[in-house]
Amino acid sequence: MPDNQSHSDSIAGAGEAEQPVKVQARDVCVSYSGKQALNHVSIDVPDRSVTAFIGPSGCGKSTFLRCLNRMNDTIEGARVTGSLKIDGLEVNDKSVDPVVLRANVGMVFQKPNPFPKSIYDNVAYGPRIHGLALSKDELDAIVEDSLRKAGLWDEVADRLNHPGTSLSGGQQQRLVIARAIAVNPEVILMDEPCSALDPIATAKIEELIDELRENYCIIIVTHSMQQAARVSQQTAFFHMGNLVEYGTTEDIFTNPRDPRTQDYITGRFG
Amino acid sequence: MSVTALIALAILVMLAGGFYAGRARAIQAVEGNTVRLHSLPNYHGYYVAIWTGLPALLLLLAHGMFADKVVENLTYAELRREASSLNVQLNDAIEADGAYESLRTEAVQLRGRAEAISADIQRLRNATGEDRDPELMDRLEAERLDALNAVTAADEAVLEREGELIARVAAEARAEGAPVRALAGFEVSQAPREQRQLFLADTLNIARGELPSRESRELVAAASIATRHQNQLRFLIGGMALVVALAGLARTRSQVEPAFRARNHVESLVTALLFLSSVIAILTTVGIVFSLLFESLRFFSSVPVSEFLFGLQWSPQIALRADQVGQSGAFGAVPLFAGTGLITLIAMVVAIPIGLLSAIYLSEYAGPRFRATAKPLLEILAGIPTVVYGFFALLVVAPAIRGLFTWLGFDDVATQSALSAGLVMGIMIIPFISSLSDDVINSVPQALRDGSYAMGATRSETISHVVLPAALPGIVGAILLGVSRAVGETMIVVMAAGQSANLTANPLESVTTITVQIVMLLTGDQEFDSPKTLSAFALGLVLFVITLIMNVVALRVVQRYREKYD
Ligand SMILES: Nc1ncnc2c1ncn2[C@@H]1O[C@H](COP(=O)(O)OP(=O)(O)O)[C@@H](O)[C@H]1O
Ligand SMILES: [Mg+2]
Repeated sequence: MPDNQSHSDSIAGAGEAEQPVKVQARDVCVSYSGKQALNHVSIDVPDRSVTAFIGPSGCGKSTFLRCLNRMNDTIEGARVTGSLKIDGLEVNDKSVDPVVLRANVGMVFQKPNPFPKSIYDNVAYGPRIHGLALSKDELDAIVEDSLRKAGLWDEVADRLNHPGTSLSGGQQQRLVIARAIAVNPEVILMDEPCSALDPIATAKIEELIDELRENYCIIIVTHSMQQAARVSQQTAFFHMGNLVEYGTTEDIFTNPRDPRTQDYITGRFG
Repeated sequence: MSVTALIALAILVMLAGGFYAGRARAIQAVEGNTVRLHSLPNYHGYYVAIWTGLPALLLLLAHGMFADKVVENLTYAELRREASSLNVQLNDAIEADGAYESLRTEAVQLRGRAEAISADIQRLRNATGEDRDPELMDRLEAERLDALNAVTAADEAVLEREGELIARVAAEARAEGAPVRALAGFEVSQAPREQRQLFLADTLNIARGELPSRESRELVAAASIATRHQNQLRFLIGGMALVVALAGLARTRSQVEPAFRARNHVESLVTALLFLSSVIAILTTVGIVFSLLFESLRFFSSVPVSEFLFGLQWSPQIALRADQVGQSGAFGAVPLFAGTGLITLIAMVVAIPIGLLSAIYLSEYAGPRFRATAKPLLEILAGIPTVVYGFFALLVVAPAIRGLFTWLGFDDVATQSALSAGLVMGIMIIPFISSLSDDVINSVPQALRDGSYAMGATRSETISHVVLPAALPGIVGAILLGVSRAVGETMIVVMAAGQSANLTANPLESVTTITVQIVMLLTGDQEFDSPKTLSAFALGLVLFVITLIMNVVALRVVQRYREKYD
């Protein structure tokens, strides 16, 4: 392979050796109905930290996130090749049940999407379908714990039976995060989680992400350079389906090696 | 071509001319630099054209609608004037006639006697204790009946004598060579109401060149008067229309100038037109509802509401003779409500599961190719005329059901049964439910499904826990619309469910529904004010209220759903 060398350069880019690698991608390619969307992406994402994916629209950030929980399976015509491991286990292996995988890899979308159920039932959704709670008390405990971790408990404790859609946009997004946390995932994927929120709600989510970092491996896609700089420890820059540059957030923002990265973070294109 | 048609054509030409005149003047006013115009030249054209054509055409339309009535009244008035001297002669003849006078006095006396007997009866009826004498009462009733018959006979005699006098006066006048139009006027002014209307209708028929029901010299004479009025009116209105059109053209053309807001004027005219259309639609609805209401009130004046709503026996009979008391039948509508409910229930038991499951399959599992063919096919099912379903039910389903249940050991399975009607009606309703539910399920945002899949839910878990709850209000709306279809459906039940008003919950028996009974009550020759026919309006009212409530609830539910996801 001609570019064997080039990606061996970019793999270890993160440099923070303190945390073990959680997600390991090698030569991941994705095409939609034959149209290439992601080219030979190789990356090591460390555990218990926040990794930001940045890059212009359509460069394949969401596509890569969807590989991690095999949500691409639900898209007709999507084809994924290459090796993708979480905790050393091959994600695309035939023996992996996507349903179990997705319980382990939570996902938060751009637009808050609470189910048409009560706040309680929204959070209890995952534990119920996966049979995580043996009694009502246990379920209550999981719901409360998740809502507390998502920083929402104090705001909704007295109206758990209100519909999830009755909350404000920022609260809905935190509810969705609580819903994801409730099934005990190890990885949480966030695809532009704040782009539909106002600055105050955004600040709350960022604070929450910072707290969640203690226990989860978080990957966040964002279009805001400031947000990436504020919440993440590693940053990866994608461009036209390629992973152009990957390193500590500090390095990427203060000392980008690739001119395309420099142009993007200084706002010259994108 | 008739004068009116020519004038209408002329007005249309002026309308077109008005458009170009207005347009041209607008362009000319700014010397071709149309940017300076407040409104585009075409708007000036529309404005002039509308005011040229619309009022004049409305005038012609009004003429077309009301001309006959006006001509009839004018002709009648003129005929009466022509006959005034003959009418005076008749009055004189009546006053001079001793026989007429004595007949009149006799009638008055007889009436007085009948009234006296009625008063006696009333007094007796109010009396209490020993004064109450049933025998006397019966005798008095018989006397009163005789007296009333005598009054009727006397009245007839008076009329007959009057007729003789009329005929005599007319014969004398004819012999003296009175003008035919005077004779025609005399005939029409002395005839009873129905005959007068018939005479005038024939007059107008002749004037229009159509065939009258009979012919006579008098009719021809009257027709010539009608023709004259017709022509006068035609020219008057036609001329007025032309003047109005010309005035409109002149006035609006002179209004055209660069700053003139033709666009806004046209806009408000369009608004007025749209408003008018909706008013017509609303008024028609209100009219129908009110006629239902009034006829029902007439029905409820002979049959109490409580008997109608809670009575258990339905056998509307019509009295064959006016004096047949107690033959008005039983109007307890509960068996009809029960029959309607039973058939609707069976239909929904068939339609809801099949419709809903096929909607789920179509929207969540089927590939786009299958969907693209299956959905139109389902919608064709909705387009089959219900009478076709009806004979399908009667000729295919009913014998099959009878065969099946007889084989299973049931005896007396009716040929026409609630079950066969309900089954077929259910099939008819499937496409409603599946098509509407499919739309509703499809409009559940993909984000919700993604959210559920991302939680590790399978497809069926996602459907039952997320998609269906989200779509539920819309699905309920679809089901309610299906129910109101079932309740109002007529053809299938007429053919397959029978007409006997059994109060039963057994689906193998023949039952009848509200709609079927309405059909039965109103088909054939009926007099229009017997309780039997009027009860159809009361049934219609009940049906209307049921469907209205269901539609309102359905719309409410669907609306609530919309608010949430838009
Ligand atoms: N469901 C899909 N079907 C077909 N093409 C897709 C689909 N989703 C994304 N793509 C294509 O893949 C490329 C990458 O898209 P995406 O991963 O959504 O970009 P990003 O999230 O970085 O904006 C784009 O060119 C897009 O058009
Ligand atoms: Mg994206």
